[in-house]
Parts: sequence; structure tokens; C-alpha cells
Amino acid sequence: MDNLKEDLKNQIIEQLNLEDITPADIADDVLLFDDGGLGLDSIDALELIVLLEKYHGIQVINPEEGKVAFKSINTMAEYIRNRKVE
Amino acid sequence: MSLITTYCHLSSDHCSVNGEIVVTREKDAADSWFKQIYKEQEIVYPKFYKMDALSQAGFLASELIKRANQGLTDKYKDDEIAMLFANQSSSADTDLRFVHSYELNGAPSPSLFVYTLPNIVLGEIAIRNKWFGENMFAVLPKFAPGFFVDYGQILLTTGAKAVLIGWLGILGDNVEVFVALVESESEGGMDFNSENLLKLADLSHA
Amino acid sequence: MTYIGAEVIISPLGRTTAENWAAMHANRSGISLVKQAGFDDTDLYLSKMLDLVSEFKFEKLISDALAAVAENIDPAILTSDKTIVLVSSTKGELDKNITDQFGKSIDALVTAFGLANRPVVLPNACISGVLAINAASNLINAKIYDHAIVIGCDLISDFVVYGFQSLFAISDKPCAPFDALRNGITMGEGCGAVVVSETKGIFKNGAFRLLSGTSANDANHISGPSRTGEGLFRSVKKTLETNHVAPDEIDFICAHGTATVFNDEMESIAFDRIGLNDVPLSSLKGYFGHTLGAAGVIETAASMQMMQHGILLKSLGYQESGTSKKLNVVADNMTSHPKTILKTASGFGGGNASLIIRSL
Repeated sequence: MDNLKEDLKNQIIEQLNLEDITPADIADDVLLFDDGGLGLDSIDALELIVLLEKYHGIQVINPEEGKVAFKSINTMAEYIRNRKVE
Repeated sequence: MSLITTYCHLSSDHCSVNGEIVVTREKDAADSWFKQIYKEQEIVYPKFYKMDALSQAGFLASELIKRANQGLTDKYKDDEIAMLFANQSSSADTDLRFVHSYELNGAPSPSLFVYTLPNIVLGEIAIRNKWFGENMFAVLPKFAPGFFVDYGQILLTTGAKAVLIGWLGILGDNVEVFVALVESESEGGMDFNSENLLKLADLSHA
Repeated sequence: MTYIGAEVIISPLGRTTAENWAAMHANRSGISLVKQAGFDDTDLYLSKMLDLVSEFKFEKLISDALAAVAENIDPAILTSDKTIVLVSSTKGELDKNITDQFGKSIDALVTAFGLANRPVVLPNACISGVLAINAASNLINAKIYDHAIVIGCDLISDFVVYGFQSLFAISDKPCAPFDALRNGITMGEGCGAVVVSETKGIFKNGAFRLLSGTSANDANHISGPSRTGEGLFRSVKKTLETNHVAPDEIDFICAHGTATVFNDEMESIAFDRIGLNDVPLSSLKGYFGHTLGAAGVIETAASMQMMQHGILLKSLGYQESGTSKKLNVVADNMTSHPKTILKTASGFGGGNASLIIRSL
């Protein structure tokens, strides 16, 4: 099990106050912003930027960057790993 | 003559429609009081979970009024139902949470900030029902039936055929909510005047 | 029928309406770079009243505005029981009392001026000002009051600045409404006032006809503009129709124009749908920043000044068209005597409001 991905799921649930959703409900490749997936919206995307700074010390200056990074748990984890290497 | 046709109360432990209690709060429940109402009344609208308490209160009351007044949404065109809400403390309940986010929790929360305006609840109800009509929110020192009657009548003579009026007292644990539907063309109901409104609202602070 | 006049503007551009007009006419902006104004002490462009020193700024501004109004009308109006004061503000004195953001200032206003009726506060996000002026007109047409004084006021606070920062909505340069390179709002603070009355004679310096406007909700999103401009389209259409005004009778549009990419685009779509593309249009946010609940009142007051002086002010910050639908954005001050002008506003909660002012 990938700890970063599990942490991310917990952090997303916490940060976005997602009721009735557990980490197990969020598959690594589910589309976070798709209505068929987690159904997040543009304000949630901004909340994910807060999350990255709060839990991972990563600052996102341009919200457009988030659009690509926040597609799924997989892409978020990849984004965090890349930014940490910088 | 305009008539009050349906109304809903939310207090800190009861939810009633037309004076009949429909949900009583379970003190030990894990869910928040508004979430209890949402679940018990089997309302399905996932956006509810994202709303702040003020919007949840207005949303729940409007949903319950629609249920008690079947066919309401088909009876009127999409811009014929106006909304006129008021309270004493504006969006202070969420304002306090937003301040908490940047003073104690590291960063200003965008999802809280978007609820730090009292008229957001009007937007939530408009979105839910696709109502494009007139909206107004006022902050008043206390429930003022005259304000609702005066401005409600204005809305009913300038294009609206129904007005959802509401007092949304939400601050911390204090819940004092009264929402009523006023219709200009209706068979039954109580005359829309200050006396009836004050009596029906029955708000302890007023 | 209602009249509107006695306009007052207090802003970083000046403490009197005359000072504000002189600055606007010279295309001066109230916007400056304020050090460490943002979250994490970032520097931000703001239209801030840097010389406003007062323990109770909100109370001071609305009192100053009402005192200035009093000089421009029959003084008996102020204390008449047929007069109502409407206060258009989103956050009032939030910094002083978060759970009662208006109460103390309103009490002070009642006492200081001997108001017969307690003012009503109308916090409806960015459409508050236009909505309040429309409410004033409606209350007079319904014969509930004879006169209404509308005061719009909002302050820059950490609360609103941090909030708009969290939405990535603040421009990194002074805002540039409708421009191709616009990238967000510049926050502003200030106070405006107008008087609406059934009687033309109460105004010492002339008045205009106010054609009561309307509002419409987008029913689309609580914080994002509608992509089709539906609510603004409906509000303007309704305002034109109820007043029997044809689109080609509009001589000038004082738009909302916040300078976010999506808002200005939405406005262009709505105006295009109504056929107002060729009407000279300005946003005044380049002068005052976005003053939130005060914006509709300050900008209506500024529009009335334009009508009085026969000059259409350029849309400060605009250089190159940046909306998908063509608009006739005023690129330089123009001598013109507009007979009929349209003022619009759109805001959070999906609200849109509009009104029309006509010269007598």
C-alpha cells in the first residue's frame, strides 16, 4: 500500500468535509472532478491547494497547475513527489 | 389578497411544517441536527453537505415547504417565485469559522469564504430549483413582520406571483428559523399581514 | 415615478464628490501597492483610504456620507418619518464586532441624525448597491416612504482580502476590466450615497429620473459567473421592458466589470444577447477598485456625475479587447450628453441587478 496515497485520501476527506465517504471509497484512479467520480467542483480545487500547502508544504501559485495535478489520487501523488524532488 | 399558504419552523430541537412536528432532534446522534433532518426526510441533494448552516437551514425549509405544497414548482414560471430573507446576525456563524481558518488553522479556506455572505442561501435555493426571480436579503435587529409584508407585497406587484419569505436565525447553537410561502393566487391560507405573520412565526426573540 | 440625486462619493480619490470627480476626470486611480497587506504579508494592489484614521471607520464613513447628503437636500427630509435609510454593505464593521456587523453603527446614525426610522441593511454581495437603490425606488412607488437615502459602504479588511486571495481572484497589478490581459480584481474601500425621492423639489442641485430596475438570479453557481450571462441578461431585459425602454435608447452602460476573466466575459455575453454591443461602456473598478457592497452606489453616483458634467469616463485599465463578444469599451474620456444610462451589477450568490437613470 502506498502511504502517500492513503494519507491523501484521508486529508481530502478531512479538508473537504466529505460526509459519508471513507478512504476505501476513493480508488487511486477515480476522477476527482468528474460527476461519475468524486464530483468535486472549482472551490474544492482551491481547497486542495490549501491542503497541499498545509500537509505537504507545497505552494501552488497558479491554480491552472492544479487542474492537471488534481485529476486523481495517482496524479496528486505524482505531483507531490515531483515537487518534493525540486 | 395574498395568502400565507405553507410554512416551516426549525428550532434547535424541532422541525415542523404548518405547525406539525416532522422531525425531533436526537441529542446523542453523531449527525448534526440539520443532517438528521436531511436524512430523516430522505432528501437527496449531495450539495447539501457542502453548504454552511445558514444555507442548509434555508434549503431544508424550502424543500419541506415544496413537499407540503405539491405542484408548487410547476404552478409558476421560473422567475415568478421571489425570495425575501432576513436575520439579525448576517453570515456571522460562517464568518467566525472563516476567521478561525486563517487565524488558527493555517490558511484562509476558500470553501468557507464563499459562504461568508448571507445572500448565498438565496443562490443555493435558486440553483436547486432553477428559480431566476428576484432575491433580497436584509439584516434587521429582530424579526419585523412589517418589513416582510411591505416588501413582500412590492415583489408580488412587480412580477412575482409567490414569495418565499424567511427569517434565518443561525448563530452557534442558536437556531431560530421561520420560512413561509406567500402566494398571490391561491385557494386557501391565512391573510398575509403583520399580525398573522407575527403569530405564525412565533419566534421567541420577537 | 422617482427621482435620484444628491450623490456623494468618499473614496481614496477624495473626501468629497467634487474631489472624486476631479480625480476621475483626470483618470487618476485610487489604487496603489500596499505593503504586506495580504495573507503571509504579501504586497497587494488595493484602492485603500490610507489617510482614514478612525477607531470606527465604518461608522465614520456612513456618518460623513449622510452629513454630505444633508447639505444637498431639503434638511427636513433627513428626520422625516416618511424617510428611510437603506445601507448597502457586505461586511460593515466586521473587524469590530463579528456577530453584529452593523448594529452599533446604525444606532449611532439614528442618534446622531435624529432619524425617525431605523435604517435597513441590505447585504447582497456585490449587487447590494444597485439592489438597494431599486428597493428605495420600489418602497417609494408603493407609497410606503416618500424618500429613501441609500448609503453604500465597505472597508478593506484582512477578512475579505484573505478570502479573495484564497479564491486566487486578486490581480497582481491594478485591475484592468474588459482588457485582454486582465487577471483579477483589485479590492477597494469607500462610501457612496444617493437620495431617491418622489419629489424633485427636495434636491438643491438638480436630479435625474430613476427608472426602477430589477434583479434576477443566475440559478447556476454560488461563486462563479454564469457562462451564458443568464441572470444579467434577464435582469437587464426585465428592466428595459418594465420601463418601456428600447436597447437603442441606452446611451451609456456603467458595467460591473470586476476584471476577473470569467465575470467580464459573462457580461459581454449578456450585453451581446440584448444587443447592447455598440453602446459606450465603462467599468469604474480601475478608479475605485471593487468596493463590494458600496460599488453599486459609488458607481451610480459617479455615473450621475458623468451625466451632470457631460463626460463619459474612460474605462481605466482597458487597452485591448479581451472578451469573446464585442463591446464598445470607452478608451478615452468622451464629451457626451447621455440621456439614458444603464447601471448593472453581478455578484456571489448568483445575483444580478440593473437600473436605468434618465436625464430630465
